[in-house]
Amino acid sequence: MARAGAMATGEPGAEGGGLARRVERHPLAALLLALAIVLFLWLVLADWPEELERWLGRKRVFVSALFNGITLGGLYFLVATGFTLIFGLMRNVNLAHGSLYLFGGYLAYSTVQATGLWLPSFLVAFVLVAIVGLLLQVLVFRHMEGQELRQTLVTIGLSIVFADLMLWVWGGDFYQIPTPEWLAGPIDTPIVLDVRPNGEAVYLRYPRVRLVIFAASVVIGVLLWLAINKTRVGMLIRAGVDDREMLAASGVPIQLLFALVFAFGAGLAGMAGVVGGTFQSISPGEDTRFLLASLVVVIVGGLGSIPGAALGALLIGLAEQFGSVYLPTYAIVFSFLIMVLVLAFRPQGLLSVR
Amino acid sequence: MAVARPGLPAATTAGETAGGIPPSAWITALVLVIMPALASDFFLVQVFGWALVLGTIALSLQFLAGYGGMVSLVQMTVAGFAGYMVAILGTSGLTQISLGWPFWLAVPVAILLAVLFGTLSGALAVRTAGIYTIMITLAIAAAFFYFTRQNETVFGGFLGFNGVRAPVFWGIDWRSPVPFYYLCLGWAAIAWGLVVWVVRAPFGLALQGIRDNPRRMAALGFDVTAHRIAAYAFAAFLAAPAGILLTWMNGQIAPGTVGIGPVIDILVIAVVGGLGRPIGPFIGALLYVLLRIFALDALVALGLSGQRFQLLIGLGFLVTVLFSPDGILGLWERARHRWSAPLNRGGR
Amino acid sequence: MARAIAERLSATGTVNALELRGVTKRFGALLALDDVTLSVRPGERRAILGSNGAGKTTLLNCITGDFPASSGTIRFFGEDVTRFPAHERIRRGLRRTYQISLLFGGLSVLDNVYLACLGVSRGRFSLLRPRRDDALVESARALVHAVHLDEVAEKKVAELAHGQQRQLEVALALAGAPRFLLFDEPAAGLSPAERADLVAILQGLPAHMGYVIIEHDMDVALRVVESVTLMHEGRIFKEGTPEEIEADPEVQELYLGHGRG
Ligand SMILES: Nc1ncnc2c1ncn2[C@@H]1O[C@H](COP(=O)(O)OP(=O)(O)OP(=O)(O)O)[C@@H](O)[C@H]1O
Ligand SMILES: [Mg+2]
Repeated sequence: MARAGAMATGEPGAEGGGLARRVERHPLAALLLALAIVLFLWLVLADWPEELERWLGRKRVFVSALFNGITLGGLYFLVATGFTLIFGLMRNVNLAHGSLYLFGGYLAYSTVQATGLWLPSFLVAFVLVAIVGLLLQVLVFRHMEGQELRQTLVTIGLSIVFADLMLWVWGGDFYQIPTPEWLAGPIDTPIVLDVRPNGEAVYLRYPRVRLVIFAASVVIGVLLWLAINKTRVGMLIRAGVDDREMLAASGVPIQLLFALVFAFGAGLAGMAGVVGGTFQSISPGEDTRFLLASLVVVIVGGLGSIPGAALGALLIGLAEQFGSVYLPTYAIVFSFLIMVLVLAFRPQGLLSVR
Repeated sequence: MAVARPGLPAATTAGETAGGIPPSAWITALVLVIMPALASDFFLVQVFGWALVLGTIALSLQFLAGYGGMVSLVQMTVAGFAGYMVAILGTSGLTQISLGWPFWLAVPVAILLAVLFGTLSGALAVRTAGIYTIMITLAIAAAFFYFTRQNETVFGGFLGFNGVRAPVFWGIDWRSPVPFYYLCLGWAAIAWGLVVWVVRAPFGLALQGIRDNPRRMAALGFDVTAHRIAAYAFAAFLAAPAGILLTWMNGQIAPGTVGIGPVIDILVIAVVGGLGRPIGPFIGALLYVLLRIFALDALVALGLSGQRFQLLIGLGFLVTVLFSPDGILGLWERARHRWSAPLNRGGR
Repeated sequence: MARAIAERLSATGTVNALELRGVTKRFGALLALDDVTLSVRPGERRAILGSNGAGKTTLLNCITGDFPASSGTIRFFGEDVTRFPAHERIRRGLRRTYQISLLFGGLSVLDNVYLACLGVSRGRFSLLRPRRDDALVESARALVHAVHLDEVAEKKVAELAHGQQRQLEVALALAGAPRFLLFDEPAAGLSPAERADLVAILQGLPAHMGYVIIEHDMDVALRVVESVTLMHEGRIFKEGTPEEIEADPEVQELYLGHGRG
């Protein structure tokens, strides 16, 4: 009794037909989301009445938490997107992802130290970390395909080894990658924080580098989404996510695809390391921190989904920043609570692909 | 899953093998019991006591992973949670937080709360299956670690609690090496015995059926989710007292005890020892402790920093996972039986 | 309590054992079940026929709750079980076998059946080891005997011949006190002798135990059922007695003509 082969269930428009359909399918969620956005916009743009200040404190605090949360979300997205991409295609939960992030950061730091060039350090970090990813895929994971747990255990072992090797080379210090001059300093935004008694408005000044980096991560996210949804390689990747056997049977050089995606995902983590090293700092332990951020982001957003990673990253970034401003000793609970709620009500993640 | 799993034991022939405890087990037990006569105080507590406690925590992971197919990284956290609870409910150096309950109240309540914590973690982790387990439990473990570090009011923040000591009762000072060693040995033996017993009982059998074939088990009337959660509860019950012992041993509990490092170490111990049988984690733990104590000196002698210990652990773990997924236990058994392929290899 | 009432109702014939209304199942864009409405009386024995991919197995999966139906309602002895997880339906007396044997290869035959008996007993979470004269072990032995597997009772299932594994599938479905059974091609791959054995087992079931059987082999199917449902492309296409179905020209054309019979 040969069982009918798995069906191709290509659902045209399920993802692409996008917004309108989503809204139609989840009217309540869409409404709440729209309300939340409007509320935030109002909170950012309006002149806060006294009453509100009593509840939420100074507007300055709120707005900078918001900006910090969004830009941190951008960073989380950069890290998590490689993680989710690798999982989506290869079912490999790469728990050494945080090490790749930290390695990228250290590489960039050393590059900037040696040459003083900031932008090229991205290239260095991307290429070298991508090579590490490539080697991992070719030398290790290729030989254990389908053994998910074993692969994951290997990545744990690797993360321990990498952490110690990096500690050996770079020591235990905190490093910050210096911001290049053209990005240094704050930028004046048109957002009014306060109106002085004399009628003079106080505007929000925000670090230029964070805004630029955030914009860059949005661009990367959009490009990635386009690449996956509109190009041939992207189509192959999506086909691989849906049905790997079919992809293998269709004559695509699947191993090459795996290696490339792994390298690319790793390279993204390396680049994220440069970003993280620039607007925060890098030190031992940051690997774990960003691995965890990636885990929570993809659990919340939906493992394997890039829009999911974006949404998850934004939520976690905001939760972390607002948490640390308004409830410092319980800040971590916020991100965690989001994860718990998602697991309880939508275990496959908010925007999961399946 | 590539990590070797124990085969299902026969349910209907249980009891027939009860008389067949191998002589090696008797000898091991005897040596462990008369250990205080053989070993110095340092060895007794810092080597054997520590190994027994870590082994028990790793045993709770072995139970979940080996018999339930769920690699839970939250076991060290459950143990640490119990440690925190004794510190908070009982007495510690941090008098403004600790409630000062007597030990006979603080300890059972701490265990109870830790079991609750483990069960809730399990309930979250089993919402999704397979490889998600590792991710979710790791996230829970990390959240707890960061939380204890951040939270001053209940968990004492970065420094945690010191001065958390084993009690004195029945005229025995349980802090002194020999009684404390027996405490560790006692709980390790009970935990080991419980696991050996439970995996042959209907509950354990069903758990293993669920590991191998959850869909069929549901079609036989088993509530797969409830069984898995119950397994987490049982595992937490094994780990919690061990966590309290660990806290007493160190005299303190701090975020470092439940950090990502120790959480992963428990996994390393269980996997390197072998997930195949309940004795595996103890072998792994002894090896880990010996390495931890003596490798440091060796590394320093070689001109390397003692920090390179982690490298050693990581490499050891990698080699195990790559070349002997069923750990030292598997290696040994293979050598003994000259079998090459473990059962169920690569089964999905 | 509710169960007792339902049982009494069923005895008077007012409640169907199975009652499906508008059951639909989608796999992505594929409509595997399209608005299936079906009722089976208690004690009724019904065959479901249909070509490859007609949706027969999917129908069983929706009935047992292996996966949920996309829409529609399913009643089991009057009780709406549409939202019930699989194990709740099983505990209410529904049983099934799988088209591709789903057994515990590492366990003995007896232990497989023991697990099945345990699943519908109260001792699922028991921490007490079964004794040799345990009631569950006894009933497992009886079942092994009933499906003629005594000789291999202690053997590991992985070492069993295909035919014996199929028989064990049936045994797992008979554990406890089933009220209604679903067989998914139990005769697949059996030798003629084994088929005869299977027919004997099915015919020997107590009269109140109704079942639905998916079977391609008309010889087997028509000897053990009193009614037939034909499926095609996810829809119910025809219902009738075996004679009516066999005689139907449309059926001959569509199914028997180029079926696998
Ligand atoms: N889990 C699944 N995911 C996706 N498609 C499925 C799944 N199960 C079944 N299908 C599809 O649904 C359709 C009906 O399948 P089903 O197994 O119910 O057919 P069947 O009538 O039992 O056929 P057969 O005689 O081969 O057993 C087929 O096209 C099949 O490919
Ligand atoms: Mg079928």
